[in-house]
Amino acid sequence: MAWYNDRGKASESVLCTKVQLRRNLGAYPFPVSLEAASANEILQKLSPPLEALGFRKINFSDISAIMATSYVEKHYASPAFASVGGPHVLLLQEKPDIAVTLCGEDHLRICCILPGLDPKEAFAHASEIERVLDGENELAFDPDLGYLTQSPADLGTGLSVSVMLFLPALAESLCIGSLASHLGKLGLSLRGGFGEGVSTSCGLFELSNRVTLGKDENEILSLVEEVTLQILEREEEARRAIRKEPLDRLTDRIRRSEAILKSALLLSSEEFLRLFADVRLGIALGIVRGITYEQLSTLLVEGMPATLTLSADTTPRSEHARDALRAKRVQALLHEA
Amino acid sequence: MIKSTMLCEQCKKRTATVFYNEKLNGRSRSLSLCGECASKLRESGEIRDVTSMIGSFADPFSALQDERFGDFFGLRILRAKEEKILCPCCGRALAAILNDGKVGCAECYSAFSGELSPLLRSLHGGATHRGRIPSRLLARRARIEQLSRLREELQKAITEEKFEEAARLRDEIRVLEEQKEGNGNGLV
Ligand SMILES: [Zn+2]
Ligand SMILES: [Zn+2]
Repeated sequence: MAWYNDRGKASESVLCTKVQLRRNLGAYPFPVSLEAASANEILQKLSPPLEALGFRKINFSDISAIMATSYVEKHYASPAFASVGGPHVLLLQEKPDIAVTLCGEDHLRICCILPGLDPKEAFAHASEIERVLDGENELAFDPDLGYLTQSPADLGTGLSVSVMLFLPALAESLCIGSLASHLGKLGLSLRGGFGEGVSTSCGLFELSNRVTLGKDENEILSLVEEVTLQILEREEEARRAIRKEPLDRLTDRIRRSEAILKSALLLSSEEFLRLFADVRLGIALGIVRGITYEQLSTLLVEGMPATLTLSADTTPRSEHARDALRAKRVQALLHEA
Repeated sequence: MIKSTMLCEQCKKRTATVFYNEKLNGRSRSLSLCGECASKLRESGEIRDVTSMIGSFADPFSALQDERFGDFFGLRILRAKEEKILCPCCGRALAAILNDGKVGCAECYSAFSGELSPLLRSLHGGATHRGRIPSRLLARRARIEQLSRLREELQKAITEEKFEEAARLRDEIRVLEEQKEGNGNGLV
């Protein structure tokens, strides 16, 4: 069971929490200057201890582009990792979901993804994996700059904490822009959308820390968690305001969206996301029953183009065929319950 | 193995802050020098003129405070052609780093500390690191602390003529020092 098949804390507004530690070995140049032979040496050093722990090793140089994209859609790898030219490897463990990427944007990135809001727990899992590798390897570190990373933006703790938020009411009230600029002053960033390649936001946002140097790990984790709770409070307020208005227009829209989701023969990514947002809000407002947050998260990930294509017995050859497959998958999963 | 600081090739003592590069009859020669040795070599005619110095990797602000350095170049900060400035360790060009934001190696951070400092300030507000440190470094620091404590105790034991205890302490120190040789090969 992966993070997107489950729900966690504050799941009415939080899809998942992603915590990533970025590290490099002191003895090798960073990936941008790294030769293939050295990259292979690093893989030889770092993979076996994780494989011994039960991690599945996926050699990204050997897999198809569509397979690589599917791992990106599941948030186990970044788009930049998928497009690396030299030898690079993903090591994956489920429950808790930990994705370790080697020789991508840094030599080592340890990422834990948990459903719902849980930065500290995710950090604890990632740290456990770091301890396995830390003692055996000399990590690139400077007393003033902290962990040395390929991107100067990650210096210091090398810690990235991000939370996938579902804020349909705030998005509609149009105060997201001012919220985002306020968050910027706190060293946080708020971006719309669910990962790269999805143009419409549909109430989905990613909140993450921008500052990594000068704040310690606990301060960064607490900052993201506290600010998330404040944002959720404002979202809750905005949802209460919606409830006070005559509900029939919104209820009508949500019911229509639910009906289309449950019975359409063709669903494009774009349309699916719009329906997803309506139905997810509908669950929170008590308008939609019988559909769960975890089912929607599953559909969100499994309905993405590459993952969807891979799940088919015969590869859908056209956009049309893919939209048909998506609609079929959605209905199969919703009727299972 | 990446060295944490690059030493001057001439005196092999001070940190190299001047990187000299010249092309003569199609052959290139490069030297990494400290400010003092660079001055001497120029006086003796070993290196030709200031314009063939392709730049300084030192912090421009510390260069400003260093009179000798300022005199040597005849101007306070040499505006170097960034494409030609390469990291002495990984060979990545400063221009490439500033262009795509990807640093080539750990050594780039000290080699280009001056050039990167405005960027780091804008990203992180001039802060310094707080928080976790690598476990090996932690262990090394603990060992250094323990060694200095044991040495103090040893001195005390000797002045107090407690020779049995002194012998025990000396053995303990020796064991710790041997450990250091075993894996004390990293940064810091
Ligand atoms: Zn010198
Ligand atoms: Zn370098």
